[in-house]
Amino acid sequence: MSLDFLAGFTIFMLALIMVVSMVPGLLAGLESSGIDYDAVAYRTGVILVEDPGWPVYPPWEMNDENHKDEIERMGLAVSKETPNILLSTKVDAFFNDSFFTPDDYRNLAIFGDIPYSYNISLRSEDGSYNYRTGNPLPPGYGYIRRVVKIKEPGVAVINDSFASDYTAPSSDQEFTVRLDFGQLLDPSIGPAYRIDPRTEPVSVTITDFNAYLNTTDHLVDNATLRTVTFWKMDPTRPIPQFTRIPFAYDTTNSELYTLTIDGNPHSLRPDGGVEVSENISLVLKPAATSFFTLDQNSILEIRFGFDDTPSRTNITGIHHYDYNATNVTIPDLQPAVLEVAIW
Amino acid sequence: MVNDRGQLYTMEGVAAGVIMLLTAYIVISTTSVYTAGDTHIPDMQLEQLGSDVLAMMDTPDNREEEENRLARFIDEHEGTEFKTMFLGYCNAKTSGATDNLHMSANVTYRDGNLIKEHQFIAPDYTWTERESAVRVTRWVQLDLKAGRSPYGARPQAVLLEVLLWRA
Repeated sequence: MSLDFLAGFTIFMLALIMVVSMVPGLLAGLESSGIDYDAVAYRTGVILVEDPGWPVYPPWEMNDENHKDEIERMGLAVSKETPNILLSTKVDAFFNDSFFTPDDYRNLAIFGDIPYSYNISLRSEDGSYNYRTGNPLPPGYGYIRRVVKIKEPGVAVINDSFASDYTAPSSDQEFTVRLDFGQLLDPSIGPAYRIDPRTEPVSVTITDFNAYLNTTDHLVDNATLRTVTFWKMDPTRPIPQFTRIPFAYDTTNSELYTLTIDGNPHSLRPDGGVEVSENISLVLKPAATSFFTLDQNSILEIRFGFDDTPSRTNITGIHHYDYNATNVTIPDLQPAVLEVAIW
Repeated sequence: MVNDRGQLYTMEGVAAGVIMLLTAYIVISTTSVYTAGDTHIPDMQLEQLGSDVLAMMDTPDNREEEENRLARFIDEHEGTEFKTMFLGYCNAKTSGATDNLHMSANVTYRDGNLIKEHQFIAPDYTWTERESAVRVTRWVQLDLKAGRSPYGARPQAVLLEVLLWRA
């Protein structure tokens, strides 16, 4: 009796051990691929929303076709201290799918061991940002949705309300926009609200230019802009003084800057000058600023040089590109939604 | 000692073992096991979304905006405005129809030595208490304000708890 029981129990235990060892194999079939996709989508969402990418400075989004391989990770956050606050220049660069290939998105944002398909989209509340990259969505994809805000660059709009400040009868026909990096990069100002010309474009728009014309001669309806030049000074040097920054002023390059005069594009030193009657718009891109080797102590000046004899404009003075809301309009952060789908 | 009876017991034992093992195998292989990971993912997605929304509602749109928006909603009992903004962010999608998320909210505060809870936003008609809801929280600092009810006049940090579910 006891031997029979022992034999039966032994066989039962052996069989039980065999089955228990088979259990992980049984459960392996229950592993859903959807779980993996959700995890990859979540990770991609975190990289995009909470990370500024690598390299940070000069930022990855400034790399051109020749330096694309230097990009290690594409993150959209303004900084690692400001999760969910995206930088508009990074957003614009990221969704440029004529520059980035599907493999770039896989290698620099998704980081999967297998070539996942993806669909990444971003839409702001007001619809001004509406981007999508990737393939159409199939059934059964991994998904994450993140709510974000988009930081946009400031714009200095110099209209006729400044005319009394920036005109003088014996003008030197030179108007300056000054950027004091010590003030702009003040650490007490949070990255979400900071003006940082190293990562965002600097926009200067002079509108209502007729308010700056020399009206003593009623026939004058324009002035000649000869040059736009960049000067820098480091106040920490022993004898600080402004020096002109060497730059390809004659070459039009929209990667570095755009200069629009009365709606037409020009170089910074147009041949023979160009007549301005209504407005001047200059956008200095971060790629150009990176050539200027500026640090947190530098002062950058953008000088608009007019040249007419006799003088046709009374514009003069220095406009400070700073946190004064009168001088620079900084748009509110834009609420938006980012969706990542992986399969 | 060993006779036919013993052999019968052995065979019976083996047969019973085989039947039990077969049953166990069939049960395990036919049962749909809903793993902890499966349940966790939709919850995690909702929690992340809710946390994002509270964080963004707590982020001023510009440097000049000194007022804390969440504090104002709680201070002024602007539950409807809070709900509209919260669900506006939560249900927004990049394309197609908006999502169908619903919420309720409570504020936990201290009254002397007591911890009390105030219903900030009541659940709507979709709430049946059987939803798989998630809870997201954020601390909100209330400034000194005379005559404030029920949180009291003194400055204090209150805990805003939002219950979020998909109808």
